[in-house]
Amino acid sequence: MTALFSLRGIKRHYGGRLALDIPRLDIPAGRLLGVCGPNGSGKSTLLRLLAMLESPDSGEVLFEGAPTGDLRTARRQVTLLLQEPYLLSRSVAENVAYGLSVRGIRDEERVRASLLAVGLDPDLFGERRRNELSGGEAQRVALAARLAIRPQVLLMDEPTASVDEESAGRIALAARTACEQGTTVVVVSHDREWLDALADDQLRLKAGRIVA
Amino acid sequence: MDYILDGFAVALRLLLAGDPETFSAVWATLSSSALAMVVALCVGMPCGFALGFFSFPGRRAARLVVDTMLCFPTVVIGLLVYLLLSRRGPLADLEMLFTIPGMAVGLALLGLPIVMALTALAVEQADGRLRQTLLTLGADGWQVLTATLWEVRFHLLGAGVTAFGRIVSEVGISMMVGGNIKWHTRTITTAIALETGKGEFAVGIALGLVLLGIAFAINLMLAFLRRRARA
Repeated sequence: MTALFSLRGIKRHYGGRLALDIPRLDIPAGRLLGVCGPNGSGKSTLLRLLAMLESPDSGEVLFEGAPTGDLRTARRQVTLLLQEPYLLSRSVAENVAYGLSVRGIRDEERVRASLLAVGLDPDLFGERRRNELSGGEAQRVALAARLAIRPQVLLMDEPTASVDEESAGRIALAARTACEQGTTVVVVSHDREWLDALADDQLRLKAGRIVA
Repeated sequence: MDYILDGFAVALRLLLAGDPETFSAVWATLSSSALAMVVALCVGMPCGFALGFFSFPGRRAARLVVDTMLCFPTVVIGLLVYLLLSRRGPLADLEMLFTIPGMAVGLALLGLPIVMALTALAVEQADGRLRQTLLTLGADGWQVLTATLWEVRFHLLGAGVTAFGRIVSEVGISMMVGGNIKWHTRTITTAIALETGKGEFAVGIALGLVLLGIAFAINLMLAFLRRRARA
């Protein structure tokens, strides 16, 4: 199977501390990969490298065989759902439409479908502002914004860390559906049980290294 | 005590009757302040945004200069502008001394660092997740910039309103550069200073009430903008 991401000799330090050390890792396309590990094990650093928000101190991250540093367009294929979502100071519908608008796409139906995919009624939530949402609803709106752009890769950093059980279930379902529709999903989570039920494959990190 | 109460009574009569001298000072204040605000906003907002948004060599030094300019005594600004515009000054040919545009130059110099500093602060204090969110949704550099600008829009408006509040209530620059010329460059603040010196409290109180009204409107607007910024 062709690897979507290939990591080769990756090292990433923060203030002299080694945060990530991965000699070799291939992430296949079309799978749902779970990443778990204790705090400070490098999970979020791995996601930030895959999201092309950061570059490694040494080694290279290849996306579809090409170094990510050279791929300006690749960034638009990969999206990251942050652990604590940030919603723009505009309506829920406009938040979901933002990723489409920067690509020059105007598609209200896709915005509605994305909200429905995370279990939010567009008629009920579409015009709400971020201060009118609960933590779980905000996380689901942030996920809907990522689903709307139909990314090739969806990265999720602790998506259920601060949400209720219902939201966690909705997020899992949306992630699984996105994967079945062809999106490669990488999910970081502390919740082993939730991850066991969701992921096709799992990766365990400890002190920046892959241990399983 | 009676002369204060009498002063208030006469002041209200002046305002309600539309006293031309009183309203001439109001007009001079608003026109010089408006001109100054146009300059302060057009120059200050882009500069302040760049200062808060981009990383470049000398950024900290530039920030220090702007913050220091916040403490610039207004009489010193007035003196500098006076020297520049006076008959022997390098900008004498512009013939702006003792004119509304001349006052606006000084007032703009007063408002500029306020607009720059508050704009830079608003951008710097924007949530750290904003840029990551925009990037991970596919925004390019220009789109990140414009979306950041939109996100902090109420803070930017607040910066403008704060600068206007400072400019409209300024006295030193208006007095020195404007010359406090009746019907021409006499503003609310310079008129209050003059009338109080003459013992004519009614006009002073009337103009003071107008200034208080403006200050109240400004604070009302600031409170509204703060509430909107949180939404």
